[in-house]
Amino acid sequence: MFEQILMALINGILLGGVLALLAFGLNLIFGVVKIIHMAYGQFVMLGFYFIYTFHTSWHIPLLLAMALGIAAMGLIGILTQLLVINPLLNAPRLNQLLALASLIIVVENLAQVIWGADYRGIPLSMPIIQFGEIFIRSSFLIAFIGAIVTLWFLYLFLNRTYLGLGIRAVAQDLEMAKGMGINPKVIYYITLMTGGALSGLVAAFFVPIYTVHPHFGASFTLMAFVIVVFGGMGNLMGGFISAFIIGIVTSVTAVLSSKEVADIVALLMFIGMMMVRPEGLLGTES
Amino acid sequence: MLNVHDINVFYDEFQALESVTVKIEKGQTVIVVGPNGAGKSTLLRTIAGLQKPRRGSIEFEGHRIDRMEAHQIVEGGISLVPEGGRVFPHLTVMDNLKVGSYNKGARPIAKQRLPQIFQLFPVLADRRNQRAGSLSGGERQMLAIARSLMAQPRLIMLDEPSLGLAPLVVNMVFEFIKSMKQEGYTVLLVEQNANKALKVADYAYLIESGKMVFEGKSEDFDKNPYIKTAYLGL
Repeated sequence: MFEQILMALINGILLGGVLALLAFGLNLIFGVVKIIHMAYGQFVMLGFYFIYTFHTSWHIPLLLAMALGIAAMGLIGILTQLLVINPLLNAPRLNQLLALASLIIVVENLAQVIWGADYRGIPLSMPIIQFGEIFIRSSFLIAFIGAIVTLWFLYLFLNRTYLGLGIRAVAQDLEMAKGMGINPKVIYYITLMTGGALSGLVAAFFVPIYTVHPHFGASFTLMAFVIVVFGGMGNLMGGFISAFIIGIVTSVTAVLSSKEVADIVALLMFIGMMMVRPEGLLGTES
Repeated sequence: MLNVHDINVFYDEFQALESVTVKIEKGQTVIVVGPNGAGKSTLLRTIAGLQKPRRGSIEFEGHRIDRMEAHQIVEGGISLVPEGGRVFPHLTVMDNLKVGSYNKGARPIAKQRLPQIFQLFPVLADRRNQRAGSLSGGERQMLAIARSLMAQPRLIMLDEPSLGLAPLVVNMVFEFIKSMKQEGYTVLLVEQNANKALKVADYAYLIESGKMVFEGKSEDFDKNPYIKTAYLGL
């Protein structure tokens, strides 16, 4: 039993890394464009299908197919900004929310039309690593390491480049950012492209772990949303920490009882946080 | 250098500026004085491109800028120090200065510019790794001025730089505005503190309820009996 819980703990941490990536994308978009990307999990689903098609139908080598999938999702991000967000930048919040929520329906049904309702996946045999009584799936380990490395690069991008500085400035004070010579439209496109590419990357990490179907994204949209709000909307560090908390709690609870109970526990924690600290773990008021 | 011609500016239905005309020659320090809510900030915001005029034109060095976006106007050489400084509170002092040099013209020389800025404002050098939100009001104002100097402007606009500062710091700010003139900057200063502002000005405007009601040299302002009693407290 002890080994099982320890293994669940490790899996939770490994999964937390990927969730942190997902939370980062959602947080970045919210922080900069001030819009909640309601279809973020559906983007992961779409990225998964892209990689699947590139590899299975077009016979592109898997790693290249993943790279193409990530690039395609970056492009989808740009299109989202161009076609959905730009026209609604000055619209009431509710309209923005509804437009992005309706993207869920569009993307899910599009996936159903193109790929059908069957579960699809790329069969891969990834080795299992053993430490004494502890077994770790290498696919989880790779996803974790990849996620942490990516987050590190994103940190450097935000803190060491002019473009990253522009993104942070727009997130804090849009009008002053314009007054500093920053073109917010460019920043928005780059943000949505980064967010889109991140959803593609998460999909690539999921390829050896899951199979995909048109409603695959729904649980990740919810998960990403819970993590981001739990950690403090728009706070990148808060999202990072809460991804690991949620990852560990769900993973350990799933071993102790079942996956369904794990989801309930995660959502109860979320509700608890909203009652005690509505601004989230590291969020600031207002 | 700057030619604001007959502009009308609205916030929805509220008219903030009515046929306002302002002229600035290169190297001049021009001030706009007037009571709170007269439209002083709106004038600067409109020149900076953050507000669009419904009528009239704004020309800078011979080019129309009133239809340009704010970020293009900064690139063109106009930089605004907004009311209260409005530094980016979560960025470090260093990053705030770096944002100042974001426009393409300023980036290549940002590295050479920085030591000069730190020489002008030694306190910013000491606090370079501190978050701007943790600075005092005076330090924030210094940072806001330094940040706009990083943009390599030819015209620098200051919106009530003395507001809410201790008297000693206010004197420092005005000393600094004087020294900017000596360095060849063209300055447009908006102030409630008419006494101090008139001492540094080459030319001055008085604005009331969105309209320019008087203009002239500092001496003309000193001689005008209405301005004397209403604004200079003499």
